[in-house]
Amino acid sequence: MTSNESNSAAARNAQAEALVASYERAGYARATPLLIQPADPFLDLSGEDLRKQIYLTTDAAGEEMCLRPDLTIPVSRDYLASPQAGAPAGFCYFGRVFRAVSAGPTEFMQAGIESFGRTDTAQADAEMLALALETAAHYGIAKPEIRMGDVGLYMALVAALDLPPAWKRRLNKDFNRKTSLAHDLDQLALRSAAAKREYQGVLAAFAGTDPKAAHALVTDLLSIAGINAVGGRSVAEIADRFLEQSALGATNSALPEQSRAVIERFLAIRGTPQEALAALRAMAGESGVALDGAIALFEQRMAALTARGIDLSRIEVSTDFGRGLDYYTGFVFEIHDAAAPEADPLVAGGRYDELLQRLGADRPIPAVGFAAWIERLASLGSRA
Amino acid sequence: MNAPFVIAVPAKGRLQENTEAFFARAGLNLVKPRGARDYRGTVVGLDGIEIAYLSASEITQQLAAGAVHLGVTGEDLVRELIPDADTKVVLIEPLGFGFANVVVAVPQAWIDVQDMADLDDVATAFHQKHDRKLRIATKYFNLTRGFFAAHGILDYRIVESAGATEGAPAAGTAELIVDITTTGTTLAANGLKIVEDGVILRSQANLVAARTALWDDAARETARLVLDRIAAQARARAFREVRTRFPGCDAALLAEARTRYGVEAPFGDPTSSGMVTLHCPPKHIHALAMLLRERGAETVTVADIEYVFTRDNPLYARLEAALP
Repeated sequence: MTSNESNSAAARNAQAEALVASYERAGYARATPLLIQPADPFLDLSGEDLRKQIYLTTDAAGEEMCLRPDLTIPVSRDYLASPQAGAPAGFCYFGRVFRAVSAGPTEFMQAGIESFGRTDTAQADAEMLALALETAAHYGIAKPEIRMGDVGLYMALVAALDLPPAWKRRLNKDFNRKTSLAHDLDQLALRSAAAKREYQGVLAAFAGTDPKAAHALVTDLLSIAGINAVGGRSVAEIADRFLEQSALGATNSALPEQSRAVIERFLAIRGTPQEALAALRAMAGESGVALDGAIALFEQRMAALTARGIDLSRIEVSTDFGRGLDYYTGFVFEIHDAAAPEADPLVAGGRYDELLQRLGADRPIPAVGFAAWIERLASLGSRA
Repeated sequence: MNAPFVIAVPAKGRLQENTEAFFARAGLNLVKPRGARDYRGTVVGLDGIEIAYLSASEITQQLAAGAVHLGVTGEDLVRELIPDADTKVVLIEPLGFGFANVVVAVPQAWIDVQDMADLDDVATAFHQKHDRKLRIATKYFNLTRGFFAAHGILDYRIVESAGATEGAPAAGTAELIVDITTTGTTLAANGLKIVEDGVILRSQANLVAARTALWDDAARETARLVLDRIAAQARARAFREVRTRFPGCDAALLAEARTRYGVEAPFGDPTSSGMVTLHCPPKHIHALAMLLRERGAETVTVADIEYVFTRDNPLYARLEAALP
């Protein structure tokens, strides 16, 4: 390393330390999780696909460990293991994360905030975006591009649609796929249209019969055939889904055109928060789906952002933003360099109210936060 | 003295026998000059070639690292163990043995699961109901991940299984498996069934070349020689030689035999006296012999072919196209 490089690394670290000091002044305690973490929570929450992006190793007992690929899960785990678990608490961090990529650097500096246990949802959401914008400003980026979404709106939409549970399950999961939802909707519609099932006749025969009797029959048939349930799914569970399929088959349900149109209309909504709100209200009113709770939260968040002096007209909302972003459950945002909107985000964050429970908390604990990519910010800061 | 040209072959079992038989048919007799327990060998009558006897997964890794020039290993291992396999190795030729399919298998009791789309739905429902994800026992981490991603399935975890994978669901350590199977008998015996569109890969032993090995002029020349013999042998096995002579044997009849039976005439059209040498795929031999006699042949002889050497060398061409 040349002395110039080490000087610039030192300067970069000093600038980031100043940033984290500002987080601490805002009331967030500095957290310093371990570099090497159990791999399981990461794989569990982000899926096996993450495996190719993390550095895996095993400890002496054979447990899979990894170099932390982010700090949200480590900070959350430390919080859950602390006496504060369950109580409102806020943390900030600055440290290295590791991603196994084939080209380019594999370690990055991240700074960020995690806020746990706050029940004033809209206020907490707004505070995160405000702090994220201050983070960009700390690096001299005064007018970044702000993208915002709300995964909760989509979930509320699916819940409000008049569809069988199997459809809702698919549609919810679909939001987390990284492919185009329109394509998936086509697939879903086609799939059911082509009734290709071996058991179609049997399934049709069950349709409309008393569900309890049908269930008992399927369970009995399985046990007559001497088939024991192996591998975690009970016979009852199998029978349930078998009958659920028969219900779907009987109504010959491709995704009903009407529901599909509502979903597509919803996902096409974009614009400033004010424009998005108006479009959401119009859509909800005209299609008769009740999104009142989710829309009210969206509106409260807008008010909280305005109260913090954030100019709403600078924010781009899109209803499909947040797809494929792992474990977010509500508010999501990204801050981009306005000069290079296609590049990776400078700061990204959002709400993940289910995370702590999935990490072992015995009750839901609200959580919201963000992470800033220090190298990206610093390279733009030096340009300014 | 040049660095040796290294061919890695399986060190034990059926795979070793089949591989040695394959090379022997191509006139490449592998011997271990220092005794059967040695893990280094040579080829009779060909200097400068070293045979490395290794396990199939070691062969795959050595190919990926460019430490050997050619190797015999299963495509399943190539796809599983080498990231971006096509940038590191070239599959020169499937060898017709070591067949194994890598498949997704679920308990037979899952009467509601027939295809991957069902499995997708079950995975999501299972996660919601049980607060944990479906577990897949396998040693094929990468193949599984790629295949499940292609089907959009997110809610699963991989549990490593080094052996007796098909017993994992019954043992309660996983809900389903991804494993190799040849006949499916072991799966059935363990109460498992293959998901309809759940065949991840139809694998067999392949002759594989390492793109990153040292391919100097000497190595290329050796590869050309070895692959020429293999190609000559492969071509010879794909055909029987058919000879006959009768006045009605003409270009029109040849054209008919070509379209009906895939017959080739390596030395051209019948002579003016109607004499011709044909190469015919073995499965059409009897039909061809019948046709020729119907059209006037008194006698038709059919013989095995030892080698067919042609000017072109398709296997070497495949290798050369992949080298810088």
